[in-house]
Amino acid sequence: MKSKTNQVIIIYILIAMFVAIVSHKLVQQYVSDENIHFYTFIKDILFVLFTGIIFKLILSKNDDRNVAIFEKLKNTNDEIKESNEKYDIVAKATSDTIWDWKIQEDSFSWNKGIESVFGYKEEEVDDNSNWWFDKIHPEDSIKMSIRLYSFIEQKTENWQDQYRFRCADNSYKYVLDKGFLLKDATGKAVRMIGAIQDITKQKEEEQRLKLLETVITQSKDSIIITEADSSDAKIPNIIYVNPAFSIMSGYEAVEIIGKSPDLFNSPNSDSNELKKLLTAIKNKEECLIETISYTKNKEEYYVRLSMIPIYNLDNELSHWISIQRDITDEKKQEREKEQLIRELTQNNKDLKQFSYITSHNLRAPLSNLIGLLNLLEDIPIENQELKEILSGFNKSTHLLNDTINDLVKVIVIKDNPSIKKEAVLIKEIFENIFSQLSFQIELHKPIIKFDFEKVFIININKAYIESILLNLLTNAIKYKSENRKLKITITTHEIDDTVVLVFKDNGIGIDLVRNRDKVFGLYQRFHNYPDSKGLGLYLVKSQVETMGGTIEIESEVNKGTTFTLTFKNRQ
Amino acid sequence: MLDQILCIDDDPITLMLCKKVIIRSSFSNEIITSQNGEEALNFFNTIKYTNNKNKPITQPQLIFLDLNMPVMGGWEFLDYFNSTEFEEFNTIKVVVLTSTIDPEDLEKSKKYPMVIDFLSKPISQSMLEYLKDKLK
Repeated sequence: MKSKTNQVIIIYILIAMFVAIVSHKLVQQYVSDENIHFYTFIKDILFVLFTGIIFKLILSKNDDRNVAIFEKLKNTNDEIKESNEKYDIVAKATSDTIWDWKIQEDSFSWNKGIESVFGYKEEEVDDNSNWWFDKIHPEDSIKMSIRLYSFIEQKTENWQDQYRFRCADNSYKYVLDKGFLLKDATGKAVRMIGAIQDITKQKEEEQRLKLLETVITQSKDSIIITEADSSDAKIPNIIYVNPAFSIMSGYEAVEIIGKSPDLFNSPNSDSNELKKLLTAIKNKEECLIETISYTKNKEEYYVRLSMIPIYNLDNELSHWISIQRDITDEKKQEREKEQLIRELTQNNKDLKQFSYITSHNLRAPLSNLIGLLNLLEDIPIENQELKEILSGFNKSTHLLNDTINDLVKVIVIKDNPSIKKEAVLIKEIFENIFSQLSFQIELHKPIIKFDFEKVFIININKAYIESILLNLLTNAIKYKSENRKLKITITTHEIDDTVVLVFKDNGIGIDLVRNRDKVFGLYQRFHNYPDSKGLGLYLVKSQVETMGGTIEIESEVNKGTTFTLTFKNRQ
Repeated sequence: MLDQILCIDDDPITLMLCKKVIIRSSFSNEIITSQNGEEALNFFNTIKYTNNKNKPITQPQLIFLDLNMPVMGGWEFLDYFNSTEFEEFNTIKVVVLTSTIDPEDLEKSKKYPMVIDFLSKPISQSMLEYLKDKLK
């Protein structure tokens, strides 16, 4: 512009000088002195006009040029502005962090992302590349710098890399960095500009998905994913099978994907179960079936199969997942167990029958013996020795009869798990027992204390509770201490909905340290009494347990024994 | 006192015992015995077919019946005895006298209308007193 102005002025001066000299020469040659003032005036006017016209020409030409330049500049300016705006918007939108590296000067600059994404304040950021390298995770930095320098040396075409970048708070973010090179006229890389994208979330999501995926790939159960739609009441086409499925069925993924799994339809498949499955698919419902299936090699296996419909966000069926387990072994064990139970049940039944027959066959001749002995009672016998022999015969026969009767009771109890219960007055039970034991009670005159104030009615089987208490009372009398008067205390109370009956005596007791686990056993005797058979407490326990109750014993030698019986009082 | 009773049992000792106890307690005038169900049925058949010729033969008024017997047991006997074939004897009462302990047997016996009791061996005078009361 300035040179142009000078040019114009010089041209003007030169032209003005030239015109002045030419007019001066012309005036000298052609104009007389008298006309000099007039001519000078005319000449000046012509001069002014002439230079004015020339000026006008030059300036208007210059003006045009200036306008053109201005327009051009303005356009360029607009473009730059727009481009800047776009850049800002893009930078904001992508939330990328942009960096600019002048390689030769090692001058490095960052955009605002370095603060908004990574938390570094302006004063914390150095303007060289070392600051950048320093923030890269040690495990990633070597690999990253090798790739970066090979790009700068233009051995590779593109550059983009993933690495961990340290934030201001010392945590690391996964980033994706993409960059391009600016080259000078000689093709040497002078500047590099890059954009860093925070991909931590994607990375974490990726790792989470990878972890979840292992559930499917590592599962020992077969997993199938199928399409949503099924045609002609068939199982929908498979879109995925996991490795466990291939192991179970023998079909590789490629062989089966895109097909309908007709695997569960073998000649021995349970058609009812298959119908159930197809109905569930039709109704888009979850279902669980068990059936026989075929492997690729036509080997049968028992499979437990679930089919679960999966719905997308729009609540439309998007696909099905099916989980299957080979339960062949399980089924086999189940069958063996069932067989075993059948055998045991049969054995049990046989044994029960055997015990009835045995007892019958024992009882038949024994009842004859008892009957015959009864007849003898009325016949007077003179011979003293015969009398003694018959008396021994009588005692032994009755003892045998008692034993067999007790055993029979046990058999009947064991065979009769559910028995009738009724509301029974406890006082009444004892009245019955006392009348049965009146002879012994009269003989020993024990002190018997009752307390049935709290609970006087009990929901129980009458025959059993009578037998139980009769046994306990007989025991108490049988095993009383010779040194003190027999004292028996019987009380009842209620805990929640159970009735507790406590039966306490001051007899000779049982050494529980030695015998605790044998007290209620069959044929366990703790005292050498002639009519002790070791059956009473076994029978008591059996009867208590048959009624759903429990019995516990506390005893001290020569102090006494306490039985605690607990019964549920509700049906 | 009853005129006639029938004891059905395969065990001769049991029969002997029955006779002796019944005689002692003056329960019945006459005691007839059968060793099993079939023999007893034959006995009733004889009565049935000789009935028309002469004046009526005395029938047993009570039967003591054992369950476990060879040839024909107590249950089979009851099945026949309960049928129309022996209709004319269906007023005769039956007492099951057995040494079984199977509770099912007791339940089963209740299905026969003529069975009035289910008693455990051995037969005794007190048992007969009890039956006397029951039959009154």
